[in-house]
Amino acid sequence: MADVTTTPDQVIANRGFSFRNALTAAEIDLRLLGMLLALAAILFGFNVLSGGTFLRPTNMATLAVQATGVAVLATGMVLVIVARNIDLSVGSVVGVIAMTYALLMTDWLPTFLGINSEFPFRWLIALGLGVAVGAVIGAVQGFIIAYVGVPSFVVTLGGLLSLRGVVWVMSQGAAVTGMDPTFQLMGGSAQGSIGGTLTWAAAAVGCLAVIGLLLYNRRQRRRFGFPLRPTWAELALGAVGCLAIIGLAAFANASYWPPGAATRYAQEHGIAEPAGGLKIPVGLPWPVVILIAVTVLMAFLATRRRFGRYVYAYGGNPEAAELAGINTRWTLLKIYVLMGVLCAVSAAIATARLNGATLDVGQSYELYVIAAAVVGGTSFAGGIGTIPGAVLGAFVMQALAYGLAYMGYNSPIQNIVAGVVLILAVGFDAYNRRRGGGS
Amino acid sequence: MSRARAAVGMAAAMIILGACSSPGGGSASASGSGGGGGNCVVGVSWNNFQQPRWGATDKPKMKQTIEAGGGTFIDADANLDNQRQLSDVDSLIQRGAKVLVLLAQDNKAILPALQKAKDAGIPVIAYDRLIEDTSGSVLYITFDNVGVGKAEAEAILQKVPKGHYVLMKGDPGDANASTFLPSGWDQAGLKDKIASGDIQIVGPKEGQFTPGWDTQKAQNEMEAIIDAANASNTKIDAVLAENDSTALGVAQALESKNYGFPPVSGQDGDPANLNNLALGKQYVDVWKNSNQLGIAAGQAALQLCQGKKINEVSINVDPSVAPAAGNSPTDFKTPGGNTVKSLILKPTPLTADQLGKVFAAGWYASKDQICKGVDSSSPGAAACK
Repeated sequence: MADVTTTPDQVIANRGFSFRNALTAAEIDLRLLGMLLALAAILFGFNVLSGGTFLRPTNMATLAVQATGVAVLATGMVLVIVARNIDLSVGSVVGVIAMTYALLMTDWLPTFLGINSEFPFRWLIALGLGVAVGAVIGAVQGFIIAYVGVPSFVVTLGGLLSLRGVVWVMSQGAAVTGMDPTFQLMGGSAQGSIGGTLTWAAAAVGCLAVIGLLLYNRRQRRRFGFPLRPTWAELALGAVGCLAIIGLAAFANASYWPPGAATRYAQEHGIAEPAGGLKIPVGLPWPVVILIAVTVLMAFLATRRRFGRYVYAYGGNPEAAELAGINTRWTLLKIYVLMGVLCAVSAAIATARLNGATLDVGQSYELYVIAAAVVGGTSFAGGIGTIPGAVLGAFVMQALAYGLAYMGYNSPIQNIVAGVVLILAVGFDAYNRRRGGGS
Repeated sequence: MSRARAAVGMAAAMIILGACSSPGGGSASASGSGGGGGNCVVGVSWNNFQQPRWGATDKPKMKQTIEAGGGTFIDADANLDNQRQLSDVDSLIQRGAKVLVLLAQDNKAILPALQKAKDAGIPVIAYDRLIEDTSGSVLYITFDNVGVGKAEAEAILQKVPKGHYVLMKGDPGDANASTFLPSGWDQAGLKDKIASGDIQIVGPKEGQFTPGWDTQKAQNEMEAIIDAANASNTKIDAVLAENDSTALGVAQALESKNYGFPPVSGQDGDPANLNNLALGKQYVDVWKNSNQLGIAAGQAALQLCQGKKINEVSINVDPSVAPAAGNSPTDFKTPGGNTVKSLILKPTPLTADQLGKVFAAGWYASKDQICKGVDSSSPGAAACK
C-alpha cells in the first residue's frame, strides 16, 4: 500500500489494507459497482429459481433487447434530471416518431417521393426524417421551457397528452405494419444480430479502447501533475475490463440461430447443411450495438465535452452557473433536442421489433425511463447522475420484469415488484449518502 | 384511403409544429339536415371517434337506416370526456331528440344523463357498451362478448385439440378481459380440457394479463414465455389471445424468435391482424361486423320513436349475425346485478379462407391493406385473388 497516492481525508481512513480502500485507490465508482452486483444478484437469483435455465445466452439476448428501448432514453433523461428538469413526454414522442416511421415506409415515401421497396437506404431516409421530427419536437418543448419559462413538468405533460392524440390522428386509429426488411434488423431477432465475426471484432475494438483510454488518462494526469492510480490498479482495471468484454462476446456467440432459420439460410445461400444442422453464432443483437454506441457517445458528451460540464454545473447550482457566464437557457434547450433525437432512436428499435407501429408504442415509457435513471443513482436534487448508471438501472428494472415473466408470474406481480424495488433502490441510496459513503 | 391518410398525416405534422394543440373538434355537431323536418329525431352521443370503426361503419349505417325510415339523425362526439358526454346529451334533448342512442364513456358516470332522458320520457338505447340501469328503460344492443371468447376458443380447440397453450389476456381492469372472454373460452371447453390434462398451460396458469392491452407489453411477455418454454423443451402448440392488439404482439414475438406460427386467436378485425390472417401469422380473428350493429340500432330507434315498448321491438339483420335468442329483446344479467333488456348479435369467426366476407361487407380495412405481401403460398391466397 506504500505507493498508493492518497488525499488527506483518505489518510484518516487508511488503517491498513481493506477491500474498500483498494477500490478507492483504483477510483472505482462504488455506486456503479453496487448496481452491477445487484444486477448480478438478480440474474443469479432467477437462475437458481428457474433450476439453472435462466442464464442462457438466448434468454439474456432477449432481456437485453427488451431493455434497449428504455435504456437509450434513460441516457438522456439523466441529463434532463441532472439539470433539475423533467421530461414526461418521451413516451408520446416515441409514439409519434414510431408512427412516422411506419407511415413513411408504407405510405408517405412511396406516395410522395416515389421511393418504393426497391430503393436502397430507405431505412436511412426514414431514420433521418424520424431524427429530424424528434429534434424539432425537442426544440419546441425546450424553447418553451428555457426561453418562455414554462415549467418543464407542465410543458412535457402537455406534450404527453397532445402528442399521444397526434398518434391517433396520424394513424386514424389503426396499427400500421410492414416495415423495410433492413429497418427490421434494428429489432434484434437472430437475423437482426451482427453475427460471430463482427462480435469478436467489436470485442477486440472495445478491449483496445479500454487499454487506450487507461494509457491516455495516465499520460494526461502525469502531464498536468495529477496524482496517478497505482500501477497494480491500472493493470487490474485493464485486465478486468478486457476480460469482461471478451467474456460477453463469447457469451453472445454461444447462442446459435434457431434450426429452422438456419436451414432456410442454408437453402437460400446454397450451402450444404452439415449433420446436426448449420451452426450460425447469433452474436450481439443490433439494438444492443446501438445501445452501446449511444451509451459511449452520451457518456463522452456528459463527461468530456463542455456541454456536459455545463449541464452538471447548472444542475449543481443554477445561479452560480449563470453568474459564471454559462448560457444556461441554450444548454437547457440543447438537452431537450438531444432527448428528442434519443426518442427517434428508441422509436426505431420499437418499430423494428413490432414490424410497424401501434397506437400505444411508447405508452408509459416516461415512467420506466425516469425509474431507470433514478434507480441508476440520478438525484432529483440536481447535479448528480451518470449515464452508465442509468443504463444499468434500465437493465435492473427489465431483468426483474423479464425474469418474473420467465418464471410465469403475471404482470400485476411484475408491477408490484418494480415499484418496491424503485423505492428500495432510492431509499438505500439516500441512506448511504447520509452516512457519507460515496457522493 | 392512403391519400386520405397522407393528408391527415400532414395535418398531424402541423399540429406537432404548433406544439400543444389538442385534437378533436367542437361539441355537438349536427349531422342531419337541421332537425324538425322528420317527426322522429334520433340523437346519438358517441364517447369518441378515435377508433376508425365508428366513423367508418357504425355511424353511416345507423344514419342510413334512420333516414331511410323517414327519421332525422343528429349526433355529438364527447371525445372521451364524461362531463362533455352529459352536456352533449342535454343538447341532443334540447334539439328535439325523441330517442337517444348512447355509446357511454363510462357505464356509471352516464347515469345522470339517463335520468334526464327518463324525466323527458325519452327511451334510451345503450349502444355497444352496457349502462348499469335499474329502471328497465334501456335497450342494450351489442355483440356477444362471451360469444367472442367462445368463438375464439372453438376455432383454436378444433385446430389443436391437445397440447400446450399460452393464454394471453388483456387489461386486468377490464371486465371483458378478466370475465367475459375467459368464460367464453371455458364454455367452448377449455376448462374441461385443462382439467382432463389434454391441454397444458404454458406461462401463468390464469393467463398473462397485458396492462392497457398494449402490443409491446404482449410482445415482451410472449418472448419471455417462449424462452422459458424452449428452456424446458416444451413446444407451444397454440395461443389464445383475447384481442387483436395482444395477438399482434404475440405474432411479432413468434416472428422475432423464429418460432414458426402455431394457431393464434384474436378479435376486432384490425387491418394489421387481418393481414396477418392472410399471411398465416394468425389463425382466427373473431369479427364483429358493426355495420349490422348500426342497422340494428337504427331499426330499434325508429320503432321506439313510433311508440313501441322496448319489449315490442323487432330487428331484421343479416342472418349471420342475428341474435341467437331471436330478433326481440331478452333479459341480460349485468355484472352489476341488474337486468337489462338486450339484443345480442353473434360475432363472426374468420379464418384466412373467409376473408371475402370482410371485403363484401365494406369494412374499413381495405383489400390492399389486408392482402399486402400475400403470395401464392399464403393461406389468404385464394381470398385475396
